[in-house]
Amino acid sequence: MTVIAGAVPIVSLPAFPFEPQYVWSIIDVSLYVSGLAIVFSTAVSLPVALLLGFTEFRGKQFLQAIINTGMGFPSVVVGLLVLFAVSNQGPLGGLDLVFTREAMIMSQFVLATPAITAISLAAVSGVEENVRDAAHVLGGTRVDVALVTIKEARYGIATAILAGFGRAISEVGSVLIVGGNIASADGVSKTRTLTTAIQLEARQGRYETAMVLGGILLVIVLLINAVVVRLGEGGVMQ
Amino acid sequence: MMELDGVTHTYDTAPVVEDLSLSVESGEVVAIIGPSGVGKTTLLRILALFIEPQTGTIRFGDTDVWGCSDGERLALRRRIGMVFQEASLFDATVGRNVEYGLKVRRSWRDRLSDGLSEVLRSNGTPETVEEALGVVGLGEQLDQHAKSLSGGEAQRVSFARALAYDPDVLLLDEPTSDLDPRNTAVIEEAVAEARNRGIGVVIATHDMHQAERVADRVAVLLDREITEVGPTDTVFESPADERTAKFIDGELVY
Amino acid sequence: MPIQRRTFLAAAGTGAVAGLAGCSQILGGNDQTAGVAGETLTLTTTTSTYDTGLLGELNGPFEEMYGVSVDSVAQGTGAALETARNGDSDVVMVHARSLEDEFMRNGHGVNRRDIMFNDFVIVGPEGDPAGIQGMASATEAFTTIANSESMFVSRGDNSGTHTKELLIWEQAGVEPGGDWYQETGTGMGEALNIANEQGAYTLSDRGTYLSQRSEIDLVILVQGPIEGGPETLANPYGIMAVNPAVHDVNYDLSMAYIGYITSPQAQDLIDGYRANGEQLFFPRALSEDPDFQQYVPEGWSSNATSG
Repeated sequence: MTVIAGAVPIVSLPAFPFEPQYVWSIIDVSLYVSGLAIVFSTAVSLPVALLLGFTEFRGKQFLQAIINTGMGFPSVVVGLLVLFAVSNQGPLGGLDLVFTREAMIMSQFVLATPAITAISLAAVSGVEENVRDAAHVLGGTRVDVALVTIKEARYGIATAILAGFGRAISEVGSVLIVGGNIASADGVSKTRTLTTAIQLEARQGRYETAMVLGGILLVIVLLINAVVVRLGEGGVMQ
Repeated sequence: MMELDGVTHTYDTAPVVEDLSLSVESGEVVAIIGPSGVGKTTLLRILALFIEPQTGTIRFGDTDVWGCSDGERLALRRRIGMVFQEASLFDATVGRNVEYGLKVRRSWRDRLSDGLSEVLRSNGTPETVEEALGVVGLGEQLDQHAKSLSGGEAQRVSFARALAYDPDVLLLDEPTSDLDPRNTAVIEEAVAEARNRGIGVVIATHDMHQAERVADRVAVLLDREITEVGPTDTVFESPADERTAKFIDGELVY
Repeated sequence: MPIQRRTFLAAAGTGAVAGLAGCSQILGGNDQTAGVAGETLTLTTTTSTYDTGLLGELNGPFEEMYGVSVDSVAQGTGAALETARNGDSDVVMVHARSLEDEFMRNGHGVNRRDIMFNDFVIVGPEGDPAGIQGMASATEAFTTIANSESMFVSRGDNSGTHTKELLIWEQAGVEPGGDWYQETGTGMGEALNIANEQGAYTLSDRGTYLSQRSEIDLVILVQGPIEGGPETLANPYGIMAVNPAVHDVNYDLSMAYIGYITSPQAQDLIDGYRANGEQLFFPRALSEDPDFQQYVPEGWSSNATSG
């Protein structure tokens, strides 16, 4: 009896307020949406950064201005613009994208791309000209030179990508508008992310449960930042 | 094998090089001497097909390099190697650096499967890479990271990198101006080795003694123009041009 | 009877598979039903039906029965109707009759049905600085709050609750404004929290208030009609299909949903739904006597349009 009594915790921890399946599905949606958005953003950002970094063309300054403006774009405005685009009445209305993960990916893509482009641009601009020349004289094509540039700037680019991911996964305004924060009746998230789930809990005044979800989001963001810092240090050390 | 004829190149409005004519044959070392800032680098970049000059023609074999297709020009470009004044190594191991020229010459399909075996760590280093590093005495440093090399070693790796894919023409732009005598000697020996292999070498240098040591022929570049070309001994001992003579005697100070 | 239907479909499916065993590749996974199975219904609704947990309770059996999924998007009444107006939802469940009527008159909504009702209550701090406790008239209570300039929190979000609140101010002949009147632009739960923090009055639907009562100190000062309060505070919920003649929507499924929500089964679920031991909503769809007004805008008559 005494042994058992000793095992009883002195402070009773509050019970985890959600079904694990519910929380996992929310994490899953968050990572899926932000992850894919970042893949597409990166695929667009890197060529644009290389273009801006190493070529002269008409409209370059304009493009640069768009990117700089885009970095500070409020997410709710992006959400509204994407909503107008994908709404039944909008230009992409036929695709039935309102309240889907695809629409959320679109809006996060719009949000993350300028940031990834700008940070990548700084990274690739730092690659020495003579290293690029070396790739060229050794027989590299334009693509080879671009690949060398990316490889040389890899730490900075990794930082850019992870910073973009951080922005995407912590963002609530646009995914709420275009995603609709939907979970099915059996408690599986469809378009509910960590941030919109937090918003839902807060709306109902359930701040404690909102904090639990906030903690999970915080852990994810901290992990990402830890990776960024490590990579950044690696870049400096090399 | 490679020949410039009446080449003029202008940056903005000021000509940098004017009416240059020069050739290099296989198994020959041509030194371009002249004071700093006289256009030696521009001349080498024209030879490397980096820059298309405004006037004049450049022939590689029988081909006019700026009169052919992009694909043909790429193929010609890949028969040229170049070493810059700075080592300009990639942020990778010595082996990866020297391998680069061979890698870009492979088809994308092969490069992808190379990448795969790289991940599986199942591919060895091509023989020519080790061999090229052997020429500059760094055969053992294959797995060392480029950033950990001394300046002299880095420049030797840079030389091996240009040699590894066995070019027909090797362009050296002041390759030893930042190096100590020991590393300079290694590079000069490597130049001799390249010549023995039948490679046509063009070396730009401001060091006349180096030109005397390594070159078969010398071209003197003064005031944007080639004032004299000829066998090394002739140019140094009995220059025909007055300015050349002054330059060689050290009277012409720029 | 839905259970029977499912059994029948399952049996038919099995028969089809047995009879066409050689063609099972062609049939793929679609041999169960040729109907709506696998489709998705988008429902835009109010935060009050969603946040009280009622919708989850109602939608589960529907999804089960038809093999479909219901995407419930919880917005304010105004936003829910606006989303539907853009053709981005199939069916709307809201609680602001005037806005619903406008939605129907503009041709966006068809087949409106009453579903259920609860009521609004005026809540405030226990100390009741304005002294409205027990008043029999909502307009009188609002006038008193305005005159004493006691803190009042408004949803300010064009929701059903907000619409009702503005209606009461209008009936009271008061133009709310000034330091004591705060628009929050948030959901009911947050508005209650803000009122709680500031010791302010607010108008709340009974359901959200009850589900949150344990976490706040606000008390009911003026009851709604369920507890004998004024009829002004009634809070009826309606459901409408988005007009398929105007928008490209899943009309079949939305009518199936409306049919389900107004069926005895779902109405029983509404009647039996409890949060913190309290009944939040009262079913209203079933009636032996005809109620024609639920189908058309309030006050509509055929004479009025033909004349």
